[in-house]
Amino acid sequence: MNEDFIQNTLKNQSHDQEIICDLKNICTEFGDNVVHHNLDLKVKREDIIALVGRSGCGKTTLLRHIIGLTKPLSGKVLLFGENMQTMERVAQRRLMNRFGVLFQQGALFSALSIFDNIAFPLRELKQFDESVIYQLVMHKLTLVELEPRNAELLPAEISGGMIKRVGLARALALEPELLVLDEPTAGLDPDRSHNFIDLVKQLKKSLGLTVIFVTHDMDTLVSLAERVAVLEDKHIIEDCSLQELAKSNHPFVINFFQSIRSRLEGL
Amino acid sequence: MVAASFRVAQDDQDRNHVQLFGQWSLRAPLNDFAKLRKSLQPFFLDNFTKWDLLELEQLDAAGAATLLSGWGNKLNNNVSLKPEHAELFNTLIGLTKQPNKKTTRDWLSPLSSLGEGVLYLIHHFTEFSRLLASLLLEIAYLFRRPQDFPWREFSANVYKSGVNALPVTALLGFMIGIVMGYLMSKQLHAFGADVYIVNILGLSIIRELGPVLMAVLVAGRSGSAMTAQIGVMRVTDEIDALTTMGISRTLRIVLPKVLGLTFVSPLLVLWTSSWALVGGACASNLELGISFRFFFEYLPLVVQPINLTLSLIKGLIFGFVVALVACHFGLRIKPNTESLSNSTTSSVVTAISGVILVNAWFAILTRGIGV
Repeated sequence: MNEDFIQNTLKNQSHDQEIICDLKNICTEFGDNVVHHNLDLKVKREDIIALVGRSGCGKTTLLRHIIGLTKPLSGKVLLFGENMQTMERVAQRRLMNRFGVLFQQGALFSALSIFDNIAFPLRELKQFDESVIYQLVMHKLTLVELEPRNAELLPAEISGGMIKRVGLARALALEPELLVLDEPTAGLDPDRSHNFIDLVKQLKKSLGLTVIFVTHDMDTLVSLAERVAVLEDKHIIEDCSLQELAKSNHPFVINFFQSIRSRLEGL
Repeated sequence: MVAASFRVAQDDQDRNHVQLFGQWSLRAPLNDFAKLRKSLQPFFLDNFTKWDLLELEQLDAAGAATLLSGWGNKLNNNVSLKPEHAELFNTLIGLTKQPNKKTTRDWLSPLSSLGEGVLYLIHHFTEFSRLLASLLLEIAYLFRRPQDFPWREFSANVYKSGVNALPVTALLGFMIGIVMGYLMSKQLHAFGADVYIVNILGLSIIRELGPVLMAVLVAGRSGSAMTAQIGVMRVTDEIDALTTMGISRTLRIVLPKVLGLTFVSPLLVLWTSSWALVGGACASNLELGISFRFFFEYLPLVVQPINLTLSLIKGLIFGFVVALVACHFGLRIKPNTESLSNSTTSSVVTAISGVILVNAWFAILTRGIGV
């Protein structure tokens, strides 16, 4: 019993330190345009990490590398310690079910209702019958605070904020460990984006998620990020908490985060 | 990661005790809830089974919902579980699907669907007439301000739906010409009426086949492309962007397409018909030994030149119909993939049917001319 306990605590410790996403020596080029050069980034379990940088510096590209949509020119992307590009198909699919992605525009299937959009990944698993799927979809809808009566609407019939919520519900359908958000609050009014951030934070706490997100919005950054990775000049130049970032002397950081400084001082 | 598992024990009263272990969660990648459910099925059916969930490492909504559906969507005293799991179960029970109300059969439904169909058709016609009217208004406007004519778009459309269509129309015309020439020379030879091959081929190709063949090809090629293009422009709000710049969408999008195709269609008819005639001449040369020189010298003598004029007019009308129908359906596309595919299909089908309808009407009107 005692041994078990010790082993458990040991396991939990390593659990906390576990690196979920590990980028090593990533190089990306589009034609002559070098986007990433020997870029390294590590994301630990239960981190909320924000990826920031100026427009067009390759944040979304990096995100696409992480979720396996694109392959870097050279370098390795390890997700949960495994390299997705070299896996065989079934294992790759299983790995892909361990993270959920919320695209910038929601990327809901426009021909399917909200219900079917969230049910889609669950149905693909082929493990549940329809009554269970109904319960699970409704559970996810309540998680993202949507009314069940909206379930039969089509994506074209709902507002931008709702699209984000449905996209989040779909990303959460398979109980992922890692949540990847591309501009989670872009196109939402301040009130809605505030609610959305609270929602993500609360979900992170209750479901034990790790969150990687890209944002341009300072409010989102300040209120959601626990760690900030700054992508500039083809590298991650800073990877630390906001408070530490405020002390940074890098000219880009000083420039880019002037508004944040004032906000932090105001706090 | 510990996959979900269970252990069954029996107490002194022969009751089953099922104890669940591990992660009953989608996070454990090796879990298969369908299999788990199947192997637990005998215990679900037995009402006296005791369930022990106290040793569970993790339970998520998927695991809980699977267990609940086995228990018939209720918790009873046979289940012992942790308080935090009880909350999850109670939430899920609250979300059970209400059985659908039995729908009564509506005897009037055929009638009402017929009525809906008629209304839908009327709606289509009004929209179509509205588009036609706005197109005519734009043309009238262009007479006042000719410098606003969208030349670039016009020439782009002429190139895309005309020049790019040359190889495929030539190939199809040639093939059809060969097939028709071959079959007809067989028949005519049986009657010893070899020389009439020129009359038959000339009249049928120039007057009927050339224009209709061209229209069908253009509807499939350019009509579908136009519908899809306008549809995607609608989906991505490009049309609204144009409107806010003060540019009329009819003038910039519909008009160049319609005028471009109307302009290029007679030329395509000429091209398709010529290749079909060449094919026919080849077949009659091989089958009946009629020389090319004789074929093309004899052709204008037996086919009145007015037939060529009629075929060019037909080409003009067909091009207009195809482009207008394509634009009509393109502008009706709603921002989803289903609507895009439906509208593109409807556009092609309607354009081809419309062309054949117009052709029949035209044949009746001109029945006394040129034959």
